[in-house]
Amino acid sequence: MHYKLKIFRFHPEQDARPHYQHFELDADPTERVLDVLEQIRGEQDGTLAFRRSCAHGVCGSDAMRINGRNYLACKVLLRDLNAAEITIEPILGLRVVKDLIVDMEPFFDHYKSVLPYLINDDPLPADGRERLQSPEDRERFDDTTKCILCAACTTSCPSFWANGEYVGPAAIVNAHRFIYDSRDQGAEKRLEILNEQMGVWRCRTAFNCTEACPREIKITQAIAEVKRAIHTGKLE
Amino acid sequence: MTATTRTIRSVKTPANYESIAWKWMRYSAFLLIPLVWGHLILQDVVVGVHNMDLGYVADRWANVGWRIYDGLLLAFAFAHGVNGLRQVLNDFIHKPTGRLILNWGLFIFWLSITVIGFIALIGGVNQQFPLQ
Repeated sequence: MHYKLKIFRFHPEQDARPHYQHFELDADPTERVLDVLEQIRGEQDGTLAFRRSCAHGVCGSDAMRINGRNYLACKVLLRDLNAAEITIEPILGLRVVKDLIVDMEPFFDHYKSVLPYLINDDPLPADGRERLQSPEDRERFDDTTKCILCAACTTSCPSFWANGEYVGPAAIVNAHRFIYDSRDQGAEKRLEILNEQMGVWRCRTAFNCTEACPREIKITQAIAEVKRAIHTGKLE
Repeated sequence: MTATTRTIRSVKTPANYESIAWKWMRYSAFLLIPLVWGHLILQDVVVGVHNMDLGYVADRWANVGWRIYDGLLLAFAFAHGVNGLRQVLNDFIHKPTGRLILNWGLFIFWLSITVIGFIALIGGVNQQFPLQ
C-alpha cells in the first residue's frame, strides 16, 4: 500500500523554526510505524532523527505523536491507523532536541522527585535473603509495575502541557508502585510530595494518559488511588 | 479455601490547602446540583428573567427560607467558581510571585462579592416598589 508521511523536522542549529517534510513510500499495512521510519532514514533521508532501542515495546524509547495521538512507534501497525496519510510529530510538552527527539530530562526529574525506589530501613530477614510478601500484597500494585517510562502518558496530559511543573501521570504511577508495596516504608514521604499543588491535585481526570499508555496501565485509577490515600490515610 | 493476606496500612497525611480545596470542589459540586437547578428552573423558566424586579426580590426575600437558599447558593456556587478559576489560571501563571498575587487577588474578589451578597441577603429589601 502507498503511504504519504508528514514528519516534523527541526534542527535547532540550522533551522530558525520547525517545519514538516513530506515522504512517500510503499509499505505493507502490517508493518509498524518504526519500520517505515527506518525505511525513510535508510533510503530517503539519513538525517531524520528519532530514538529507538529494543523496537519491541519494552524500552520505551520511541514514544511519538502519530496522527495526533501518542503511541510507541514500534507497537503501532500502519493498518491500526486506518489512514494512508500519516503525520508524525515529537511528543508534546518537552523541548525538541532534533526532529522527533525530545529532551527527557524534565520528565526524569519529575520521576526522581517521587522517590521511585524501595525505602525500608529494617534489617534484612534472618536468612539474609529477600523480604517476602503475600501474592495478594504483590497483586495490589501489579498494574503500576508495568510502566516503561516512555512518557506517552505525561506528554498527552493537558495539565502537563499547560504547566511543566506538574509531576505528571508517569511519576504518580511510579510513586503508586511503591506507595502500595507492603514492603516499603516511604509512603508518607511520597504522599507528602504528591499532596502539593503540582502533585496529584493538578490531575483533572482527562483520561488522556490512560488512553495513551502502550502498556495499558489504568493510570487515572492509580492517580485516584493516590488521592484517596492522601484523604483517608489508608493504604488498602 | 485460601485466606486473604492483604496488608492494610495506615499513613499520616496531614491535610493542606490543596487537599482541602480539592475536597471542597467535590462536595460543593454535589450541593450545587440541586441548588443551581432549582434556581435556574424557578428564575428562568417559572418566573422568567423579564418578570424579575425589585418587587419580586422583596417578595422572595420576605421568606427566610429563600434567603437561606440564596445564601447557600452564594456561599457554595461562588466559592466553587472562584476556586475553579484559580485552578485554570494556575495553568497560565508559572511564577510563584504571580501565583501569590493571583491567590490574594481572587481571595479579595471572592470576599468582596460574598460580603456584598450577604449584606443584601441579611438586610433584605427595605424600599417600597415601584421606587418613589
